[in-house]
Amino acid sequence: MSHQEEPDHRPEGGFSTPVGSRRTFFHWVTVAAAAVVGVGLAVPLLGSLISPAFMRRRRAWVDVGPVDELPAGRPTQLDHVTTVRDGWQEATSHKAVWAVKQPQGDVTVFSPICTHLGCGYRWDDAEKKFLCPCHGSSFDVKGDVLGGPAPRPLDRLPAKVEGGRLLVMYKDFKSGLRDSVEL
Amino acid sequence: MSSRLYDWLDRRLNLKPVQRTLLDEPIPGGASWIYVFGSVTLFLFVLQAATGMFLALYYAPTPDHAYDSVRFIETEITFGWFVRGLHHWGASSMVVAIGLHMLQTFLYGAYKKPREVMWMVGVVLFLVVMTFAFTGYLLPWDQTAYWATQIGINMVGTVPLIGDFFSRVLRGGEILGALTLSRFFAIHVLFLPAILIGGIALHLFVLRRVGPAGPWTDDRASLASETFAPRQVYMDAVVIAAVFLVVATLAFSIPLPLTDKANPSDTSFVPVPEWYFLFYYELLKYVHGPLEPLATWVLPLCVILIMLFWPFIDRNPVRNPIRRPAALGSGLLFLFVVFGLLGISLKNLYAVPRTDPAVAQGRAIYAQLGCAGCHRIHGEGGAVAPDLSTIGYTRPDRAWHLKHFRDPQSVSPGSFMPKFPLTDQQLNDLTSYMLSLKRAT
Repeated sequence: MSHQEEPDHRPEGGFSTPVGSRRTFFHWVTVAAAAVVGVGLAVPLLGSLISPAFMRRRRAWVDVGPVDELPAGRPTQLDHVTTVRDGWQEATSHKAVWAVKQPQGDVTVFSPICTHLGCGYRWDDAEKKFLCPCHGSSFDVKGDVLGGPAPRPLDRLPAKVEGGRLLVMYKDFKSGLRDSVEL
Repeated sequence: MSSRLYDWLDRRLNLKPVQRTLLDEPIPGGASWIYVFGSVTLFLFVLQAATGMFLALYYAPTPDHAYDSVRFIETEITFGWFVRGLHHWGASSMVVAIGLHMLQTFLYGAYKKPREVMWMVGVVLFLVVMTFAFTGYLLPWDQTAYWATQIGINMVGTVPLIGDFFSRVLRGGEILGALTLSRFFAIHVLFLPAILIGGIALHLFVLRRVGPAGPWTDDRASLASETFAPRQVYMDAVVIAAVFLVVATLAFSIPLPLTDKANPSDTSFVPVPEWYFLFYYELLKYVHGPLEPLATWVLPLCVILIMLFWPFIDRNPVRNPIRRPAALGSGLLFLFVVFGLLGISLKNLYAVPRTDPAVAQGRAIYAQLGCAGCHRIHGEGGAVAPDLSTIGYTRPDRAWHLKHFRDPQSVSPGSFMPKFPLTDQQLNDLTSYMLSLKRAT
């Protein structure tokens, strides 16, 4: 199209169409309008599409009870209710953790799941061992493996003491691995 | 770069004739800003389709999850509230754009021979869009959605012989529930888009076969034509961008709060339909008793049939509106009735005298007497006595309230509400406050 400034072009059909700089003006305004709509839509739509990819699984500190009532050096099972969010759904589940108060006052908290294949273990006060009933793994009070097929020590959960209450952040770990890998 | 790519493709696909067909469509009398409404409507449909697809990423069409998933979109998803706002205001804008498109077509007599089929397809498209609006309204599954749909379906039930059957089919059974929500969802996102796309294709096909109508002059031979591109394209694009900016501004600045989650047992809730159904909602208030079916289905059916077959009712071949007094008169009468009813309805709903000091006084008395111990207003207060959120709407009678406050049992036998020792001034103020409570949110 090499038309210079000239009266509107009349093709065979006998109707007119603007040419030259007028045509260029209409073209660019059309492109600009399309760009406004395109960008104005693309940003929110794509933003909403990728938004969940950036949502971190929210882990909240859960209050599992007063620290005072924990006997020092002897593991205690603490039950609590935790809320699990899945998109727009919320489910509450009962979780238990094993807490061991250290002589200095801080608390070690273990995930209640055996690191071998995911069974629940218990503390045997007579033998001073954590015993897993499924395959016979056993752990000492620090969580280290004493015997059985368990590949790694018990998994520790983040814990802190605030205002005399023990707060725990519950997590799940993959079982059967040599290293502790969070789910 | 883009032109080289185009040339490369053109050498293989022979695109030039396609381009000519799409863009060199002759417009009799030249391009005009008055012709933009069809393109705007088409754009808004594309906007609705795009925003709808992205809302569907997060929406769950079951009574257990619908409300929570919409709230999730509103509060958790980045831009979720904005996409939902675009979809909401896009729907309203589409009704406006179709209205203007039909008004232009009517005024220009563009439905006359040989364009009767295009008009009829257009009327069907309009009805499909209204069905979109009706089915989409239920999806958030809040109180407004639930009760407005309940009323809409019950109206279908008033049609003799087939009404009961139809309302059961619409609901998917006896009660409005899980089956209703899932079928409204499927109709809204699968059936209607398919129908609408087919209808749009037919509408445009007919347009290209008969050509645009152009101005209403009788001397058509003297009209110079102009190609669709670039000037009409430019006009369409400018107005489309402006419409988008308006819709985006509305979505950005006006939040769309959900009312409470749908509660089938709360019969005190008074729903208000979308503004484009308000005229009809108002009409229903004036027709009671044996005449009610007249308003619920006889009149709508007649109006739809008249609209559909209008090109065969108005057989006057003249297109100039000045010389079509009968057609213009009936069109104006129709608009007058619709907008009159809409105006009255809006006035009743929203024209609460906000500056009335009696309302503020009444609100203070309400707080002072501890009425909120038993009554609830907009989610605050007890639940042992009726919810007063929309009491001014459900009971607009001032005398009733005055009598009720003096002696509740006199107008509401069995009520356990105590008598309060109030002065006449206080009674009046409290009543003014009650009458001001009209909106669900």
